Amino acid sequence: MDLTASVAAEARSVPKGLVPASFVLGGTFLSLVGLTWDIQWHSDVGPDTFFTMPHLFLYSGSAVAGIASLVVVLMTTAAQRRGQRTDPIVGGRAVGVFGRTFAAPVGYLISGIGAASFLLYGLWDQWWHGLYGFDAVIASPPHIGLLLSVSITMVGAVMVFATAREHRWGLFGTIGSAAVLLSFSMVTVLGLQALPRGTVDSVDVGVAFMSVLILLMGAGAVGRRGGALAVAAVVAVLQAVFWWFSPWAAEVYADATGLPVRDYVDGVPALPSMIPMCLLIVAVAVELLRKLPAAVAGAVGGLIVTVCAPLQTSLVYGASLPDTTPYVFTVLLGTVFGALAGLLGRRFGQMLRHLAPAKETSHA
Amino acid sequence: MRKTALCLLSAILLLFGLAAPASAYEPVNIVHTEKVQAGPYNVTVGFSTWPLKAMQSLDFTFAPDDGITGKAGVVMLSLGEEREGERLARHPRKREVWGLDVYSLPEPGDWTMRFDIEGPAGTGTGELRNLKVMEQPGPPLGLSWAISTIPLFGLVALIVIAWRRTRRPV
Repeated sequence: MDLTASVAAEARSVPKGLVPASFVLGGTFLSLVGLTWDIQWHSDVGPDTFFTMPHLFLYSGSAVAGIASLVVVLMTTAAQRRGQRTDPIVGGRAVGVFGRTFAAPVGYLISGIGAASFLLYGLWDQWWHGLYGFDAVIASPPHIGLLLSVSITMVGAVMVFATAREHRWGLFGTIGSAAVLLSFSMVTVLGLQALPRGTVDSVDVGVAFMSVLILLMGAGAVGRRGGALAVAAVVAVLQAVFWWFSPWAAEVYADATGLPVRDYVDGVPALPSMIPMCLLIVAVAVELLRKLPAAVAGAVGGLIVTVCAPLQTSLVYGASLPDTTPYVFTVLLGTVFGALAGLLGRRFGQMLRHLAPAKETSHA
Repeated sequence: MRKTALCLLSAILLLFGLAAPASAYEPVNIVHTEKVQAGPYNVTVGFSTWPLKAMQSLDFTFAPDDGITGKAGVVMLSLGEEREGERLARHPRKREVWGLDVYSLPEPGDWTMRFDIEGPAGTGTGELRNLKVMEQPGPPLGLSWAISTIPLFGLVALIVIAWRRTRRPV
């Protein structure tokens, strides 16, 4: 009877590692929601202060992920000091930090470092705004520092779930966290606007590189047919939801604070329109070419993204198509960087697969 | 469970209670003005900081003498090849005039601000020339970018370490 009760309790209990991993993923999702809302707010309404609701989402996202990471590191450290064996399914193998002062599962170490870095860049951003004013420029140095910090937390989230890829929750979490990272990275690449202006559209090339890289990385980490397609499908869902959410949230918040919507607002959801709409086609190509060298799939992916980018801008904003020369050069460079992203993405997927604990043999 | 929910609710209320006074939006304080004659329209251009510095954002206001009702137009800011154009829209925090809120000019130099206005008295064009924008304040931009991309280099270092340790396919 006792045995039955114990088995039933075991079946009902939450899988080990799921709770902290969910907090980290939830934190990164909050950051993504805050970012899409904040960009739309500046585009449609305008005024900025430190304490706006979109900013609170951004800060709390890193705070939630950071606190969850810290708790896991402290619990792992305490367990090791008591001489207990720690389960590597929770964020991967524990590594020593500050000598052996702390024992940190590698996934949570990375997500925690990203959150701590976000805090530091938050201070840098405050100083910057004090000097330069509350400009709403995405590609300012401190903003890119903040976005990179959140990206590191998101990489940590992918690592945490990839560690548990043998479990269903690990599989779904890997796909979800890769999709969040991909969507967020479409804004981070705007930092490339700081490069000198030339013939090539560096942002389009950056979008191609990051899209292909994360699609192949996610597919590699999952290690099953349909991995790239699953990541692209989740990105498409996020894009669709944010397409509705971003302008709606900006308008509702403007009403709540008694601020008017700007004159001549184009109504285009800003962050969702940065995400390539052709990503599902890229994912299908990656799936079909999975037996070929990764550079081939990557090159095809980079080609598709850079060919479609101006078409998407034209469709969404009604903008005119670019001149032939810069367009051709951008597509060529996008294809080359796509090939590189393909190679790196597949290798990163392999790295993530190493995080999963080695299977114990039955006769061990 | 109830205690946890109460604690959470209190924390949220406290957070918003503290945030509310800080979330007040600053009024537009004009500290310098210039006049531009755009055909039949006399426009007063207001600046919330003066002198202007590259990359430092400020509020610009554009106020025709007889108001903005029934008028529309475009303001174009240019410096050499650099051109930034905007439709004349009401300033979000000073709705009785047109304006650009928290707007910065990227480069130092002598900028030109050109207005094309359509209204009851017809169309008019006017320019404010030699709008001096001084060098950017703060550290050199290269240093700011170097500081801000440290996380990227950290990520690259992590990748290099992981790359070396995961050569065997799984």
